[in-house]
Parts: sequence; structure tokens; C-alpha cells
Amino acid sequence: MSTFGAAAANHNPNKSFEVAQPPSDSVSSLSFSPKANFLIATSWDNQVRCWEISRNGTAVASTPKASITHDQPVLCSTWKDDGMTVFSGGCDKQVKMWPLLSGGQPMTVAMHDAPIKEVAWIPEMNLLATGSWDKTLKYWDTRQSNPVHTQQLPDRCYALTVKYPLMVVGTADRNLIIFNLQNPQNEYKRVTSPLKYQTRCVAAFPDQQGFLVGSIEGRVGVHHLDDGQQGKNFTFKCHRDGSEIYSVNSLNFHPIHHTFATAGSDGAFNFWDKDSKQRLKAMSRCSQPIPCSTFNNDGSIFAYSVCYDWSKGAENHNPSTAKSYIFLHLPQESEVKGKPRVGTSGRK
Amino acid sequence: MHNKKEACRNFQRGSCQYGERCKFLHVIQQQPKSNAFGFGTQAISHQQQKPNPFGFGVQNNAQSKGVNDFGNKQSQFKNTWTRSSASSGAPSLRQPDNQPQATNHRCNDPESCKRIIAEDFEHERPLWKLTCYSHWKNSPCDIVGDVSYEELRAAAYDDAKRGLSLQSIIERERNLLNSKLVEFENFLRNPYRGPAGSAAAQQIPFPGATTTVLSPTTQNTVAPQSNVPPSVSSFSQLGASLNTGFSPGPSVQSNNASGQPTSFSNSAQSSNVFSANNVPSANASISTQNFSSSSIQSPAFLNVSLSNSEVVGREATNVQLGNNLPTTVASGDSNIWLKEKWTPGEIPEEAPPDAYV
Repeated sequence: MSTFGAAAANHNPNKSFEVAQPPSDSVSSLSFSPKANFLIATSWDNQVRCWEISRNGTAVASTPKASITHDQPVLCSTWKDDGMTVFSGGCDKQVKMWPLLSGGQPMTVAMHDAPIKEVAWIPEMNLLATGSWDKTLKYWDTRQSNPVHTQQLPDRCYALTVKYPLMVVGTADRNLIIFNLQNPQNEYKRVTSPLKYQTRCVAAFPDQQGFLVGSIEGRVGVHHLDDGQQGKNFTFKCHRDGSEIYSVNSLNFHPIHHTFATAGSDGAFNFWDKDSKQRLKAMSRCSQPIPCSTFNNDGSIFAYSVCYDWSKGAENHNPSTAKSYIFLHLPQESEVKGKPRVGTSGRK
Repeated sequence: MHNKKEACRNFQRGSCQYGERCKFLHVIQQQPKSNAFGFGTQAISHQQQKPNPFGFGVQNNAQSKGVNDFGNKQSQFKNTWTRSSASSGAPSLRQPDNQPQATNHRCNDPESCKRIIAEDFEHERPLWKLTCYSHWKNSPCDIVGDVSYEELRAAAYDDAKRGLSLQSIIERERNLLNSKLVEFENFLRNPYRGPAGSAAAQQIPFPGATTTVLSPTTQNTVAPQSNVPPSVSSFSQLGASLNTGFSPGPSVQSNNASGQPTSFSNSAQSSNVFSANNVPSANASISTQNFSSSSIQSPAFLNVSLSNSEVVGREATNVQLGNNLPTTVASGDSNIWLKEKWTPGEIPEEAPPDAYV
């Protein structure tokens, strides 16, 4: 057991690998490169940091590589598909493009009238999509200063997911806007969330047949797009502890097995299989919430951060004692591989 | 096309290979008896198929709001979309008997809706309170005014930067929380029966108190609208503290429809992708471009626009949080909109007029 006794067990009950030199304030987003094991973390301390993650058998090491600074807290990040460049955006209402692997300097490529909550790179269109609290979604060709297109949203953008040609935007007051990126100027469909409370996160199915939506009420909705498949829609409860209902902060599909992980304000993360409607694995609760998480490109590493997500307001924030962690979990196959359906004999 | 005998079991399980040709009825809801809420066949029902600690249940959500015909059911996502996006005005729904109604929960039985609300508030109150709420899935919000964790945190960090003490930030947050809790309380006591739905303009006489007794026969959308003013009050509090120099209420509506900061030059080819309706080949060549040599507009441009958008952005933020309201004509004392804080007795029931949004 560890020499620190209870303290260590509390903040890392899953015995995950701890990333070196974590941010000094809460982590707002985590992003793995699509090409290699480079991890980006954006933080409320205005920094975007990059680590190189290396695996030696069952051991995992993290090496801090580089970082850039924004003027205000950074809320979102994503990699370009070539694995060379990182986009980050946040409260400074800008997105910076950082060609870090070629050693380049960051430059501003997008702007909004309010903080930018979500950013996504769409390789099939060679465009950057940004969602902001100014109720717009903008598409950017990074070489031009004006957005290629501005899409009005019914409310502030809270969540975004892209799986070409499917894009789903979750906004305030439970709107879910679905776009077909082959015709991005028109909303394909506008759906009101199947959940009753604030939308927190969305994730598109890898096969683009639908999406997941997570809310603050410890529930995830599984929604199919096709009218004929509406019968397959369902919701399930998670991240609850007795009468305490925590929010689902992050939804991430495993890139190979197409199972998914949820991470919540209760400090736990779970792995699920939506096709057999089972939970594959429940991990132990950490002492702080998990605001964000992500898989790496082949699903062999699951990164999650343990830090305060403001779910209990400012009064629970103590800057002098607050600690933020980033952990790396190596999922076993049993945790992320889909299982056959139990019980009912439904047709697939 | 439907032989109105039996319901198709395959369709209910999720897919039927016969599609339109199927000789069984493709309805989602087939047993009105199992509907605990007493709604008709067209309503959605929660069907718990087996007890499951995670509450897995099959929900039958037929989303049909103006969506076009999908073509063949088993089509790939891409095929479906190309077809439906090409046809702009042919809303031929495959299951006309239940699709349009299934999603529009109409609160036909106010008592059971009230029970749902009471139960939700008893057992399903999440820890985060600054949220919207709807008592029925897929229905519009009964209580609006979402504030997310990040928004609250950004406001707190802004305040801290301007020198506010942690204590005053906490207090501001508490006020916000309390007004939201009051809103939920009021809703529980008076859920404004009537169909939840589109926010049509409804002339409501200016009340003296927040809780108004509304006649059950009110048909228009009272629910979302009536609940809006209290949320405005909580947001004007948030807005007020975000920028002390900014007078809430009448605002500089610089957040215009295009959402763009001013004085940007229009790029000639900016709309290439979107007008062509497909990924143009012109962009293919840039995919391997080395970004260090590409020329985005000069830094000078960015500096200029930054100062513009900085101001715009700030105000826009306040505007955003305070004024996501439907625009209706208000009756009564219009000075109410200029007040910074509302006492509970004078919160107007309807949304502010355009001039104040």
C-alpha cells in the first residue's frame, strides 16, 4: 500500500497513473492527439499544457512538453487531424491555433462575442467549428479572419460533438440541434432533450446513428436519429449516491469497441455498453469531481481529471488548498469490450 | 398501407425490415392500458421492461417535428440525410397516426402532471440547482434559465479579477441560487396547467403578485412565459454583478443577428463551402499546408477588432444571461424593466418589450 495511507487512496482510489506537473487550477478539457500519445489539458489557470505519454509495458510515464497561455481561463481544446496542431478556446472569446509539434507560435483563428465553450475540428470540411455562449456556432477556415458561416443557436452552446457528417449541439434550456455537415447551414433537426434538466454533455455514436446526452440529473439519454429507431431510445441513471444526484460531465466513446465511458461530479467514472444496456465496469469514486475525460486514439488509455468543477459553487472552492489531478487509466478489455445482451431476445 | 389489425412486434423492438410494406401496424405505443398516466394511445409511456438499478427503460420517442421522409429505413446515415435534405417540403410521415402527437405532451391530465412534478421535486432534484426543468421528456422547459458550472465559475473569476472578495461572490451566487429555488417552489405550487409548447405571445394582465391564478382553460403557452420573469430577475442579478458600470435592463443590443463583431471586411470566397452544398475540392489543397507560412490577417487587424469585440463581448455576455426572452408586447408599467432588482411583488409576468431586450 502507499505510504501516504488514506490521503493517497482518496484522490486516486483507482490506482491510475498520475500525470506529472498538473495544472494549478481545475482542468476544463482533455484531448489526446489522433496520431500519437500526446495529451493536451486546458485549465482555469489560463494555460494549455501538453504532455507526452509513453508506455513501457504496464508502466505509464508522462513528460511535460510545452504550454501556451491565454488571457483568461481556457475551456475547450481539440487536435487537428494531422496531430500537429492544437486548437484551444475559452473565456477570452478566442480560439488559438498552436502548431506545437512543428514548434510554431500560437495565433488567433476564431473569435466570438462571449466565451467559447466548445471547439471541434472537422477534417472532412477542413474547418474549425466553435460553439459559444453568444448563442452562435461558427465555422472557420483558419486562414481567414471571418467565419465561413455563422449559425444561430436557440441558446448558449453547452456541448458539441462531431462524427462526420453528424454534428450535435447541446444548448441551454435543453435544446439539442442536429446538423448534417453536408448541409451545414440548415438545422437537420431540433430536439428537446429527453432528460428533464440542464444538458451537460453530448457524444455522437461512432456509426452516426444517434447520440448520447448527459445531464446534471445523473442521467444519460440514448437517442437515435432515424424515426424508425425511436423505439431503441432510452435513458438510464448513473452517478447517483442514495438521494444525491450528481451530474454527468463527460461522455466518451471507445474508438474501437464503441462502448462508452461516463464521468461525473461524484468523482466516479463508469464504462457502459448501450447495445446490451449494461454497465461494464464501475470505478471507485475519487474525492473530487471529474469534470472531463477522454480516450486516446486507440482506446488503450483513458485520461480523466480529478478537480473541482464548481458543482457546489464558489464557497467550495479554496484556491490555496485546491489540487487538480490528471490520471491515466489503462482499461482492461473486460471493461471496454461490449458484452452480449443479457436476458431478452431482441432482434438486433 | 397499414392493415389495422395488430401492432408489429419487430418495429416495437427497434426495426422492421419490411418498412412501409409491413402488413402490421407500425405503432410504438400499443397498450393503452399499461399507461399509468391515463393518456391516450398517442402519448408516450414509460415502459420499464425489467427492473434495472440504472432505470433502463424503453422510451418511445417519435420525433417528427417537420422532419422529412427518410427514405428506406435501413439506410446508412449518409444516404438518409442526402435524401431528406434534398427534399425540402415533403413531410410524408411514415406513421401518421402517432408521430405528430406522440412528442407533444399536452398536459391533458393536470393532476397527473402535478404528481409528476411533485415526485420529481421530491426524488429527482439534482445537486445543481441553477437549471431549467421540464416535467416531461422531450417537452419544452417549464422553468427556463440555465446557468452552467462554467458560466458561474467564469462570472466568479471575473468578479475576483475586479477585486470582489470571495465572500461577496459567494453571496451573489447564493442570491442567484435562492431566486432559482423560489422559482421552483412557485412552479410546484402552481404548475400553470395548460399545454407546454411553443412560446406564443400571450397577453397576460399585469399582476400584482408572482403567483397568478390562471384559468385551467387557458390554451396558450402560459408555462414557459410566465416563468420567464423570475429567471430574468435572477439573471439581472448575475448580469449586474458581471459589470458594475453597465445598467441592466435596456442594453446595447450589439449582439446582432449575424453575431459578428463589427468592421470586419467581407472575404469574397468565404461562403464557398456552404453555397456549393458539398465539400469543395478547392479546399483539398490546403490540407497539408504549413501553417507557419500562411498569412492570416495582420496582427493590426486583430488588435483593432479585439478592442471592439472586447467591449461588445462583455456587454453581450450580460445581455445573454439576462435576456433570453421571447419578445412580446408588454402591458403595464414599462419602467419595471429599468429597475435593477425586483422585489417579489412586482416581478412582471410577461417578457420585456423589444426595446428592453
